[in-house]
Amino acid sequence: MSFLTIEDVTYSYRGKNPVLHNVNWGMNKGEFHCLIGKSGCGKTTLLKLAAGLLQTDKGRIHLEGSEVVKPSPDCGFVFQSPTLLEWKTVMDNVLLPISLKRKLTEEDRTQALELLELVGLASFSDRYPLQLSGGQQSRAAIVRALVQRPSLLFMDEPFAALDAITRDELQDDLLRMCRRYNMTVLFITHDISEAVYLADMVGVMSEGEMVYQSKVELEQPRRMEMRYDSYFNELCYTLRQVMGGKPS
Amino acid sequence: MNKMPLFSFLLLILLLGIWEMAAGTMSELVLPAPSVIGSALWEGMVSGYFTPHIIRTASEVLLGLLFGGGLGFFIGILMGEVTFLRKLLSPYIIASQAVPKLALAPLFILWFGFGMTSKVVITALVCFFPLLENTITAIRSSDKQKQELFRMLGASRLQTLVHLKIPAGLPGILAGLRVSVVLAVVGAVVGEFIGGSQGLGALIIASQGMMDTPLMFATIILLTGMGIILYLVISLFEKRWTKAYKKEN
Repeated sequence: MSFLTIEDVTYSYRGKNPVLHNVNWGMNKGEFHCLIGKSGCGKTTLLKLAAGLLQTDKGRIHLEGSEVVKPSPDCGFVFQSPTLLEWKTVMDNVLLPISLKRKLTEEDRTQALELLELVGLASFSDRYPLQLSGGQQSRAAIVRALVQRPSLLFMDEPFAALDAITRDELQDDLLRMCRRYNMTVLFITHDISEAVYLADMVGVMSEGEMVYQSKVELEQPRRMEMRYDSYFNELCYTLRQVMGGKPS
Repeated sequence: MNKMPLFSFLLLILLLGIWEMAAGTMSELVLPAPSVIGSALWEGMVSGYFTPHIIRTASEVLLGLLFGGGLGFFIGILMGEVTFLRKLLSPYIIASQAVPKLALAPLFILWFGFGMTSKVVITALVCFFPLLENTITAIRSSDKQKQELFRMLGASRLQTLVHLKIPAGLPGILAGLRVSVVLAVVGAVVGEFIGGSQGLGALIIASQGMMDTPLMFATIILLTGMGIILYLVISLFEKRWTKAYKKEN
C-alpha cells in the first residue's frame, strides 16, 4: 500500500468544465515526485487536493490509509511565493507553525536555528523577510515548512521566481534536507530539468489528465555534472515532446 | 532637499509679515494682527483661561475616538470576516454614509442633553465610518496564499485573524484612524457650537458674541494644534510599525 494514493480524482471549479479528469497517482514513503505541465493544466489544483486545501468532486485521496478531507498537521506546504509574514522576524516566521499550536520552548528555537544553519540563514534569524533576497526568502519558507518535521511536503513551484544559479543551489539544499529527514515530497514545476534533477519519478500532466510518467534513473546524491550528461538530456527531451509543442 | 524645512519656515514668516501689515490697515474686529492674536493666546494660556476648555474638548475628542473608532474597528472586523453580516449590513452602511452626520448634532443635543455625552456621541459617529470602511477592506484584502498557509497549518479562524489579517491590514486600518482623528476634532467642535458652555467650540461662539476676534483666532490655533498633535501621534505609530520590517535604506 502506497503512502499517498490519488484515485480517479475529478475536480471542477464551481461546476464548470472539469480541471482534473480521473487522475491517478501513487507515492511511496521517502520518494520525491515531480509533476510537470503547462500553466493551467491542473497541477496546482491536484496539489491542493492532495494537501486537503480543496475537496474532490469524485475519487479519493488517501494518506497513510486515511482519507484526506482537510489539511493534515503532518504535511507541509511551500507556496509559489515565500508567503513570509513581513512583520515577523525570520525566526518567528519559521516558528509560526509551532507557535500556532502551543507555547514555544527553548528547544524549538535551537531546532529552528539548526535548520536555518543548514540553509545558511542562521545569521539572518532576527532580520525581517523584506530585508532578505528572493533566494533567502524561499529558503526561509522551506525551513518553515520543515520545522514541524512533516512526513509529506507539498511544493508548488517554489523556485519559479528565482534566477538559475540560486535555483540550482536551492535544489541541492532541498535534496540534502529531504535525505536528512527522509521526507516524501510532491513537487510541482513547469521546468523540465528541475523536475528531472530533483525527482525519483516525474509525471506529466496535460489538460487535466496525467499523460505520462517516467522513473528517473540517476544516482543519489545528485551532482551538478549530472545536469549535463546525455541520460539527463535525453529524458528532458522525451518529457519535452510529451508536453507537446515544438521542441526548441 | 535638507533646506526645504527652512524654506517652509521662511514662507511662514513672510506670510505672517504680510498679514501683520495688512492688519494695520483694518479694524481689529475684522482682522487682528498676528501679534495681537499671539498675545491673546499667550495671556489665555498663562492665566489658565483656556485650560478647562482644552481639557473639555480634548476629552470629548479622545472619548469619541475611543468609542467610535473602537466600534468601527470591531464591526469592521466582523463584517470583513462574516460574509452574511457584510451583505446584510452594507446597504445600511452605504445609506448612513450619505447622511450628513454633523446635521444630526441638534438631534443628539435633544436626546442626550447639553452635557458632554451629546458631543461624545457626535464625535464617535463621525469617527466610526472611516475606521469601519478601512477595516473591512483591510481584513478582506489579505493575501490568498497566506490564508491557505494558515489553513495548511491548521490555524483557527481567530488565529488567522490575529496573526495574519489584522497585522497585514494594519497600514490600511491606521490610514482610516488618521482620517478619523482629524474628523473627531471637527465633530467635537460642531457639537459645542450647537449647545454647550464649555469647550473650544463653545469658546469660538462666545468670542463671536463678545466680538473678540483675537480670542476667536487664538481658539482656532489651539484646535489646529490639537488636530496636528493627534495626527502626528498616529503617524508616529504607523512609522514605528512599518519601519521595523521595511527594507533598510
